[in-house]
Amino acid sequence: MRLTPAVRVLLLASALLPHSAASLVAQSDTWALTNARIQTVTKGVIEKGTVIIRKGLIEAVGPAVPVPADARVIDLAGKTVTPGLIDLTSSLGLPAATTPGAGGGAPGGGGAQQAQAAPRQGLSPERLIASEIRLTAADVKPLRDGGITAVLVSPSRGLFRGMSALVPLRDDADAGTIIKSQVAEHIGYQGGGGGYPQTLLGVIAYQRQALFDAQRQGILQDRYRSNPRGMERPENDPGLDALVGVVRGQTPAFIEAGNENEIRRAVRLAKEFNLKMTVVGATEGWEALDALAGRSAVVSVNFPAPTTVTGWSYRLSQRRAPGDSAASAREAQKMIEGNAAALNKAGVRFALASGGSREFLPNVRKAVAAGLPAAVALEALTIRAAEIAGVGEMLGSIEAGKIANLVVSNTDMLNDSARVSAVFVDGIRYEVAPPPPARAGGGNGPGGAGAPAAQVAGTWAMTLTSPQGPLEITMTLVQNGASFTGTMASTLGSQDISDGQINGRNLTWTSTVQFGGQSITLNYRGEADGNRMTGSAELGSFGSATFTAERKP
Amino acid sequence: MMRTALFALPLAAGVLAAQTPAPADTTARRPAMPVLKVDIPPAGTLVAITNATILTATHGTIENGTIIIRNGKIAAVGKDLSVPAGAQVIDGKGKFVMPGIIDAHSHSAAESINEGSLSNTAMVRIEDVIREDAIGMYRSLAGGVTTLNILHGSANTVGGQNAVVKIRWGLPVDSLLFAGAPPGIKFALGENVRQTNVPQTPGRAPRYPRTRMGQEELLREVFTRAREYQAEWKAYEGAMAQRRKDAKTAEPLPPKRDLQLDAMVEILEGKRLVHAHSYRSDEILMLLKVAKDFGFRIASLQHVLEGYKIADEIAAAGTGASTFADNWAYKLEAFDAIPFNAALMAERGVKVSINSDSDERARRLYQEAAKAMKYGGASEEEAIRMITLNAAWQLGVDKLTGSIDVGKDADIAIFNGHPFAPASRVEMTLIDGRVFFDRNKAPTLEALIEAMKRRPRANTTSGGDR
Repeated sequence: MRLTPAVRVLLLASALLPHSAASLVAQSDTWALTNARIQTVTKGVIEKGTVIIRKGLIEAVGPAVPVPADARVIDLAGKTVTPGLIDLTSSLGLPAATTPGAGGGAPGGGGAQQAQAAPRQGLSPERLIASEIRLTAADVKPLRDGGITAVLVSPSRGLFRGMSALVPLRDDADAGTIIKSQVAEHIGYQGGGGGYPQTLLGVIAYQRQALFDAQRQGILQDRYRSNPRGMERPENDPGLDALVGVVRGQTPAFIEAGNENEIRRAVRLAKEFNLKMTVVGATEGWEALDALAGRSAVVSVNFPAPTTVTGWSYRLSQRRAPGDSAASAREAQKMIEGNAAALNKAGVRFALASGGSREFLPNVRKAVAAGLPAAVALEALTIRAAEIAGVGEMLGSIEAGKIANLVVSNTDMLNDSARVSAVFVDGIRYEVAPPPPARAGGGNGPGGAGAPAAQVAGTWAMTLTSPQGPLEITMTLVQNGASFTGTMASTLGSQDISDGQINGRNLTWTSTVQFGGQSITLNYRGEADGNRMTGSAELGSFGSATFTAERKP
Repeated sequence: MMRTALFALPLAAGVLAAQTPAPADTTARRPAMPVLKVDIPPAGTLVAITNATILTATHGTIENGTIIIRNGKIAAVGKDLSVPAGAQVIDGKGKFVMPGIIDAHSHSAAESINEGSLSNTAMVRIEDVIREDAIGMYRSLAGGVTTLNILHGSANTVGGQNAVVKIRWGLPVDSLLFAGAPPGIKFALGENVRQTNVPQTPGRAPRYPRTRMGQEELLREVFTRAREYQAEWKAYEGAMAQRRKDAKTAEPLPPKRDLQLDAMVEILEGKRLVHAHSYRSDEILMLLKVAKDFGFRIASLQHVLEGYKIADEIAAAGTGASTFADNWAYKLEAFDAIPFNAALMAERGVKVSINSDSDERARRLYQEAAKAMKYGGASEEEAIRMITLNAAWQLGVDKLTGSIDVGKDADIAIFNGHPFAPASRVEMTLIDGRVFFDRNKAPTLEALIEAMKRRPRANTTSGGDR
């Protein structure tokens, strides 16, 4: 077939822009949800009311809304309708982090610029997550069945991770259905991968240098735009261009900072460069209330273990009587679960997020039990999350004109007994099957609440790929319920495993090796899948590494 | 309930805190969980240490002496001083008081130590990676240490920027930095930098430089570049000044700011102190020559185990030496070390300090200093200075701390016997006149042992030199 150039351009344009209104609402019907208890979040609770959904939007909501003739009516007597939950900490649909490339800054070379010449994992501020997401219905269903209707997707590692995208959890979610692309530049504290920056020291220096470079790039671009004559043109550097928006406060910066010191580092960076910054994680926020005051935060409910809480080693040393240790651990657990409550009390406005935990809602309920008002928790899962993602006018509450992302449940979502029976995303209705009778839990997917610990006992052949090169390790594990012990043997000798914990398929443990005259504690994180395991290790001052392991028959 | 009683005790000093306006950090920031609470001593309290034997480090020993502390500074020191009304009195009867110990070489509390990916990492800063809860720092405090020089490691020729901190235990990390301390940087020479002991990654070229002559070349190259960079900025500032006079001149473009070269320029301008890890006399002479050629001073040589061979050259360069008391032969370049090193260098006019480079040794630096008397015949006061005033001088804070003199920060260690007597131990450590360590309130040894059995934390460093 011969096409005129004009037709070709048209076809190309439609291929590039599939998200016309028609395709977005193709599967959406007109619905009338009647007799429901409606938790609007922003306008209080309507004890018995109707929500009308048309073309993917909420057309009307109220106690006495007429039902349009063309609407399909669902009688929700005895049910509660809540705005769809939003999780701002997700890596759904991104390829699993591969071993960082061995490229990067040449040894003995210069600063940030040089390293940028060969981009590595986590060093790409220009990375557009919206263009990388690949989702299947099977990916989104477990989350959606738990009431989550939108997730903010960003890579979970790296120091400049790229621009996140807010994705609706529809079965057909793809680049075209994305709610908002370029929500924020995501920033973290991981280096590694074979060049500068390797360690936390280098990571922070790299970030500062890059932001100074971006400030200058902005000046050069402005001058060139106003008068290019006689001026050398600014270098075409997509990474720097992406950061120009960040240093100008146009692009929000989401800095992942969990413990107290990370939070303080993030705030210091934000102050130095006047960033529009949101702290993501803040699991030790109660230790840094002064630093977080007046700032925006995405608070993870993926609670850290008491032993990893900053200051814990000292506090443990303060035990004075038998039994104090258990008492201290309980106190610490209370502080960890009371984090959101403490932040709320201090006036910090935050969203709650899963932090990658599969126990999202159960952990939110723990935060509520620890003193966070339930109303605040619900806001933090909906409207506040929407506002922090810059979509407060589109999502986060049940109001006319907003996107029809809704959850239908038997009771308030924060009740332990809440069961989700249906979810609407962009007005598309998804039924949620009741959980199999054997398993308790609030609609979590596989590996969620009450999931049994993976069986990991045996001998594993592990390959650890660190900045110093690959290392073959033979790991022998002895499992005892949700904990394990064992040894790791390699050319560096044999080390005992300590603090081995299993949570569903997720494992954490530590070991200490002597290397180059130093004693390094390695913190491992792995995910077991039958006889295979993948994960990463933090090597203290030596950076980080990734590993794969297979169980020997 | 012993614990509850201890934590419920209001600090006696707290009653008096109203006398002077207290800085903002006086409130305990930890939540009021009795088991977990860390007491923060109030600032600005009026304190008197009475009837003590005072080792001043500058003007001999005062028997039955008194120190008056006002607003965190030493207001008076001497015999027969009257105690001002309302002062918190620390009875020094039978006790020995010396200046707070200064460890000129520490890696405590740094979450990462070596950014070894490049041969010049002048842009990285230890102050970015400190954590305030490192137990090693607390143990140093319990050993009378008040100031630490937290250094980058020795993985590369030009390492990162060091951080001088006071161990204000319990306060947030930003409160640890020693405000009056000039900025500094770590250099390193010799074996560690050559990486001949580090297994190489197959397929990757080894990092330059691989020899000591390469290290010299790298330094000269880096400082030459720094001069060019400095000139670029001077030209820019000149053009800006011109433009301010004549607005018709085209607005100049600022040069690219380079954090690495910024630090190198500060060295050239004498604003940033160089602390150089070094062992052999030949490499030390090389470094002193490079510094002379580029017109700056090396503030301290670290380790400097062959310093006794070239003490005159070190003294003539105005450079300090910070060494181990008796630690040697742990690698090839440490074979010529002798325990007389500290005293011999001091005899030739070098300002010598004894450092720890280890969380373990940092707890008993006073015993390390005593070895300079045993081996080299250093005087008692000279030995005291090796862990106080001389270290302060090397860090550029000798006007602020390091001796018991009027006007200085009240950084003080109180011992139950002479610091150089083997059985003596620290009873109290004061920083800026605030009691940050008090053995009567500290955890028991038994509790510490139990805690250590459970979980040694990641950031305690151990082993030889870094």
